[in-house]
Amino acid sequence: MANKPSDELTKPSTEPSVEPDRRRFIKIASCALGGGMGAAMLVPALRVLGDPTNRKIVTTPSDPIDIGSLERLVVGAAPLKLDVVAPVIRDAWNAAENVSLGAAWVQRQAGDKVVALSSICPHLGCAIGWSDKKGVFQCPCHESFFEPNGERTTGPSPRGMDPLPIEVVGGRLKLRWVTYRQGTAARTLV
Amino acid sequence: MKLLSTLTDWLDTRTGYRAALAASPKLKGGASFAYVFGWMLVLLIALEAVTGVVLAFYYSPSGNNSWASVAYIEDQLTLGWLVRGVHLYAASALVIVCGIHMLQTFVWGAYRRPRELTWWIGILSMVLIMGIAVTGFVLRWDQAGYWASRVEIGIAASTPVVGETIRRVAQAGNEYGNLTVMRFYALHVFVLPALMLGLVGAHIALARKHGPTPRWSLSEAQLAKQTARWPDQTFRNLLAMAVCMAVVVGWTISKHGAGLGAPADPSAAYDARPLWFFRWLFELRHLFGSWEVAAAMGAPAVAIGLLMMMPFIDRAPTTAPRQRIVPLTLGVGLMAAVTALTMVSLQTDANDAQLAERQKLDDQKAERARSLAKLHGVPIAGGTAVFTTPVMYRARMIYKNACADCHNGDERKGPEITAGYGSRAYLAAFLKDPSGDRFYGRTKLAKKEEAMKPIELPPADMEAVLDWLEAQNGTAIAADKVAAGAKVFEEACGDCHSKEAWVAGASAASLAEHGQKEHLMHFISTPGAAVHFGELNEMPRFDRELSAADRELVTNYVLWLRDKTPAQVEALEPLE
Repeated sequence: MANKPSDELTKPSTEPSVEPDRRRFIKIASCALGGGMGAAMLVPALRVLGDPTNRKIVTTPSDPIDIGSLERLVVGAAPLKLDVVAPVIRDAWNAAENVSLGAAWVQRQAGDKVVALSSICPHLGCAIGWSDKKGVFQCPCHESFFEPNGERTTGPSPRGMDPLPIEVVGGRLKLRWVTYRQGTAARTLV
Repeated sequence: MKLLSTLTDWLDTRTGYRAALAASPKLKGGASFAYVFGWMLVLLIALEAVTGVVLAFYYSPSGNNSWASVAYIEDQLTLGWLVRGVHLYAASALVIVCGIHMLQTFVWGAYRRPRELTWWIGILSMVLIMGIAVTGFVLRWDQAGYWASRVEIGIAASTPVVGETIRRVAQAGNEYGNLTVMRFYALHVFVLPALMLGLVGAHIALARKHGPTPRWSLSEAQLAKQTARWPDQTFRNLLAMAVCMAVVVGWTISKHGAGLGAPADPSAAYDARPLWFFRWLFELRHLFGSWEVAAAMGAPAVAIGLLMMMPFIDRAPTTAPRQRIVPLTLGVGLMAAVTALTMVSLQTDANDAQLAERQKLDDQKAERARSLAKLHGVPIAGGTAVFTTPVMYRARMIYKNACADCHNGDERKGPEITAGYGSRAYLAAFLKDPSGDRFYGRTKLAKKEEAMKPIELPPADMEAVLDWLEAQNGTAIAADKVAAGAKVFEEACGDCHSKEAWVAGASAASLAEHGQKEHLMHFISTPGAAVHFGELNEMPRFDRELSAADRELVTNYVLWLRDKTPAQVEALEPLE
């Protein structure tokens, strides 16, 4: 077929009597065999490659995580960045202990009232820092600025900083680690 | 069709592929199934490439991760077992079809002038394919792959003079570790395949240039008939390739994949065996006894050398077998020897009942490791750490090793510590018969005068004492009940026992906070302390034998037992 592009049209004249039906069958069968083998390799391969897409490969604790003592926080002070370390996570084949998931900016408003903001920028996921000089949160990557309460002031971030559920139990800070979709104005859990 | 021809025209203008295809020599004597084996190899190499690339998306080469990631591919990834199984069995098929391809070439006399170079490159390609298989076998980092590689490196390391250097190069450093796996990995997926593909490319180019060697029996008239490869030969090739693929996939499915042994464990004995196509060398080494190293290295060199020399040995005027008795005898003899040695080796193992027994245990261990890996994940420490993932593994191991002899089973010497130990029902039964078999019945104390006597109280008072006792272990009991219980306790038990925390009684233990973590851990550490058994103690102290962390773990386990039923304890995952 390849070296005779006009094969089908000219066949009667170039191959007058050599079993045209048999030749035709063999050609079609060859293409079918080749295509079949290709598909038989490709389809399962793509299936395997796509497997993790809709699965929970990394499992972080759904229970609150202890991130330290309430005593570390002073009412009215600048937000404190606390590391969120999971006692154990599952990651594909691993069970890993003491894995850092990220950080939370925590402020004590009064007594036992504490708020926590995720340090992940809702724009593109950089780690948000605190500017002592300006008294605002600032994302170093694309210059998004946020009020101390997490509200967005200027910059490309589509929404304010994401709050994290936190409570005080027996003088300890217990935080639930959640992540939200980035780049959207609405806050959707991942 | 119009669109297709426009497209192919476009492509031809830019590549000239039609001329290239047309330039491919015609087949002398027509199409034949004898020529399909090379193409079967192409298919198998393609299968290896596709499955290999897919596996590379999931495999993690390192001492800690290799086994775990392969177990993940095998047991958790959708169709992972199929991809990995095809990767393994297609490699076996490659070696088999290489053998058939070589045999066909050999019998047809296709290694003769002017195809010597094609033949030599083919042999080198086969050696590389075997090298890829050997390096790939290690990557699973299970017992089979790990120990096979240790033996192979050991053989290489017994080379005179440079042996130790070879070992250090092969295993990357002084010991087996992360870099060892990385080394085999880089060889398996980059270096050797790249070399092999280069050689196979040259082999195919030369094979196309010279065309296949027609069968010796064809007449001049038959040879004069020259046909194009497309479509008759192509169809035969594709048909053979499809059959080959169906066999490999069918075999993989019937075997439920490639299987995976227990994680590599340097401390566990294992019957290391090479890949099946090196079995003949394995057997040869046995036969050569103290010359085993010479055999392991010399035999492949002799075999490959003999095959390479074939174009020079074979000086017959035609390719007719009756004129090529010497080369055919040599070749067939070599093949027969290799086959016979392989069969003997496999048969020896098959007849070894003790080996079968050990392999059965290995299989059970593998199954357990894989089910634990799926259930709990593999700790970062690596494959063998998977055995430590059952619930409360360490605590239960300590209990088993340090406590169970005396506190569990028929041979025990002390009170039974199982499900329900320390519960209200347990305490009630204990008070009625402290020297019963389940309690202190088996101790020396039970036979002494100091032994505690059964408590006889009106039911209401008994409940009150139980209220007080249960409150000691932290159970929430109403304060007035505890106070009432304390009063009865003082009257009924106060002569011997103390109800002040950490204050010894007149002749027996303090029962305040009895059943709380700190109290129990203190007891396990120093049961002979005055607040516990004092001079009546028969239990060994564990503050020296067990670390504080271990004592805490086993304390937690004993406390955990309190509100459990025997069924719940039974349901715990087995420790081994």
